Amino acid sequence: MFINALARDPSLESFRQEVRDFCAARIGPELRKKLDLGQHLTKEEYDGWLQALGEKGWLGGNWPREAGGQGWSAEEAAIFREETGRAGAPWLVPFGVTMVGPVIYTFGTPEQKAQHLPGILKNTTWWCQGYSEPGSGSDLASLRTRAVKGVDDDGAHYRVTGQKIWTTLAHWADWCFCLVRTDPEAKPQKGISFLLIDMKSPGITVRPIITLDMGHHVNEVFFDDVRVPAENLIGEENKGWDYAKFLLANERVGVAELGSMVRYLDQLKGVLAKTMEGGKPLSESPEFQRRVAELEVQFATLEALVADQHAAHQSAADQPSLIGAAALKIRGSELQQAILQAMTDALARHGLAYQADALMAGWNGELMGPAEMAGILAEHLHRRAATIYGGSSEIQRNIIAKGALGL
Amino acid sequence: MTAFSTEERQLLSESAEAWFADRYGPEHSKKLSRDTEDGFGREEWKTYAEMGWLGLALPEAAGGSDGGLTELSILLATAGKHLAMEPLLPTLVLGAGAVAQLGTPAQQEILGKVAEGACLMALLHAEPASGFARDHVEAIAARSGDGFKLDGAKTFAIGAHAADLLVVSARIGDASGPVGLFLVPGKAEGVSLNVSPAMDGRKGAAATFSGVSLGADALLGGEEDRLAAIDALLDRGTLAACAEAVGAMHAAAATTLDYLKQRKQFGRALSEFQVIQHRLVDMNILCEETRAAVHAALTAVDEARPGAALAVARAKVQCARASRFIGGQAVQLHGGMGMTDELSASHFYKRLSVLEAQFGDGEWHLRRLIAAGAQAPASAASTTGMAAG
Ligand SMILES: Cc1cc2nc3c(=O)[nH]c(=O)nc-3n(C[C@H](O)[C@H](O)[C@H](O)COP(=O)(O)OP(=O)(O)OC[C@H]3O[C@@H](n4cnc5c(N)ncnc54)[C@H](O)[C@@H]3O)c2cc1C
Repeated sequence: MFINALARDPSLESFRQEVRDFCAARIGPELRKKLDLGQHLTKEEYDGWLQALGEKGWLGGNWPREAGGQGWSAEEAAIFREETGRAGAPWLVPFGVTMVGPVIYTFGTPEQKAQHLPGILKNTTWWCQGYSEPGSGSDLASLRTRAVKGVDDDGAHYRVTGQKIWTTLAHWADWCFCLVRTDPEAKPQKGISFLLIDMKSPGITVRPIITLDMGHHVNEVFFDDVRVPAENLIGEENKGWDYAKFLLANERVGVAELGSMVRYLDQLKGVLAKTMEGGKPLSESPEFQRRVAELEVQFATLEALVADQHAAHQSAADQPSLIGAAALKIRGSELQQAILQAMTDALARHGLAYQADALMAGWNGELMGPAEMAGILAEHLHRRAATIYGGSSEIQRNIIAKGALGL
Repeated sequence: MTAFSTEERQLLSESAEAWFADRYGPEHSKKLSRDTEDGFGREEWKTYAEMGWLGLALPEAAGGSDGGLTELSILLATAGKHLAMEPLLPTLVLGAGAVAQLGTPAQQEILGKVAEGACLMALLHAEPASGFARDHVEAIAARSGDGFKLDGAKTFAIGAHAADLLVVSARIGDASGPVGLFLVPGKAEGVSLNVSPAMDGRKGAAATFSGVSLGADALLGGEEDRLAAIDALLDRGTLAACAEAVGAMHAAAATTLDYLKQRKQFGRALSEFQVIQHRLVDMNILCEETRAAVHAALTAVDEARPGAALAVARAKVQCARASRFIGGQAVQLHGGMGMTDELSASHFYKRLSVLEAQFGDGEWHLRRLIAAGAQAPASAASTTGMAAG
């Protein structure tokens, strides 16, 4: 259809205001300062914010009411993301509430729901995503971490052995949702199961990987004969790939990262106003003015595409768009990088000093350039990964080529 | 003009490559960057002196070999390829370059020390309000007795933290005075350095000068305005940075090719996918183009051809675009491994990012070309200074 997008609902403006007010009230001055400087937050600081959202019922706002959510429409969810993004609120860590939560409320047993959903909705448990392995990145279905039902205990446990890599925040996680191989004989996608693993289980080792921004975001996770209760299996054995695909489809709301881009565009304008060339701010430079306009065009297009996809998914006909979530991921990640690159190009006027230590709490040296510089450069470096994680740009193009164009 | 024959250049290139290949590598760079106060190797610097590399482009009178920017660029391209950390460009191209170009006979004595490895240098010209613009100087060297009193702030520059002698631009007398270049000892009273790593891990500093007392002999040459000389000096720095980038981009493309040949997904080497092959081809085309463009500009500069400045600007535009594409793709095509501090891909990405921005990025040099084109007759832009040597 030519027109998919739903009309904007004006009654939602009061919700928008409510989110704004909440952000203003709940992000205290100390946290505000760290966010503005782009400093690394502690787990406790994330908890402070995410648990406040949990109390308010907004963390799982777009979950259905039966699952403990608010049943938000796509538009409400978009407003929430946009406004928290604009406020520069802490990252909405997705592993629990966006990723595994919906899998559990859709496919989990009553016991699993009772055990896990409250902690996810209140952010009292932290999750990580154990998919990628050293030998299985883009070709995820080739994963080899093995889970075998124990013979000595009548199959009450799986014994898990193998290695995951790039596991974001595994060092903070209480639980890991993991793809494991339960049938090595079957076709790659058919022999995979979806297991919930307690990170405190004996036999798990987490090792940090330092990335190019000098930050610790990702890890290697080793499983050495780890005993996992069989009741931690989601759904049926060997159907894990289906649940993983569901998770991916469900994630399309966030995949374009519109919230973060609202923030980046604001920051870009701030940087241009503060950075001088020949005694005049770069905001007066025709080259940068054109660049900002270009980025805003791309942002508006992406926003429209997101709205269009939501509408298509909600319409009765429910015709999935031809190119779907893959296009949102490609364009969203590219645009994130483009805005960050524009900021970096402007900040390069300060000589590209990178004060990575200034991102640590308690640093009290002298900052160079605009105060937010180190944080922005760190974000720029870190988001080089945006076109790699969650299915790289190359893989997304393959998906469109195969799935949408039938090539 | 250069005193080097083609054979001598070849020899220089081979001996530099042999030394860096043996001594350097990402692990060594990281170690120097993180485990030493200077962020580079003092031992390495001694070796450079012994090899005669520090004197490559210095006059024979100073113990140098009278080479041109081309010879220095051969060295810098090799240093870039191996991610060397020493402040070769700031000391040799900018610091010594300024002294050689403008210094009085007494000041030229410094060059002997540079060749011996006993004097590190850096140029501090850009200021918080200048951006890439080369003619915006607010620092002031007010007259004081026979000499000057220097006040002002300068933007972060690689190598400034360890420089024995800083070359600092400032207006002579007051805010409306001509711009002079001053020799300021890095440890002089009133010099305060804010030391930091650059994005690529090389260290440098931003500086504040508060009433720094300087003798009359601190002024390089006479009191005439030096903005044009600074422009030419920065052009030499620009081109030297391009040479360093050419080395880094070749190495980044090569390490990416190697990785993709051995990394298997979907049951075959990633290098077997045509999308990947074309990307690698584009990276390598850019390497070759950029090397040729930089070579052409080097010849124009060393032979003092008319329009050499435009050739430098064109080379920088080409080099900046190639750096961005090749550095970015080196990370992208390594996948998660490209993001790690462990592999060299991310280090090439960061080195290329710094070199891309140093002395004005591609957009800025493009604007220079537009401004020059606006003043030149229609045919000039395509002919001046671009003939390959
Ligand atoms: C910062 C960061 C956080 C991450 N967080 C998590 C996490 O929490 N949990 C988790 O499980 N994983 C995580 N990942 C892993 C991520 O999903 C993988 O890096 C990604 O799937 C790519 O796999 P790879 O790194 O093995 O690259 P490879 O698959 O080896 O790919 C290397 C390059 O080849 C390209 N390529 C591969 N196949 C093809 C093809 N057929 N055609 C064309 N090009 C191809 C890729 O696009 C890429 O550019 C994270 C990664 C990063 C960088």
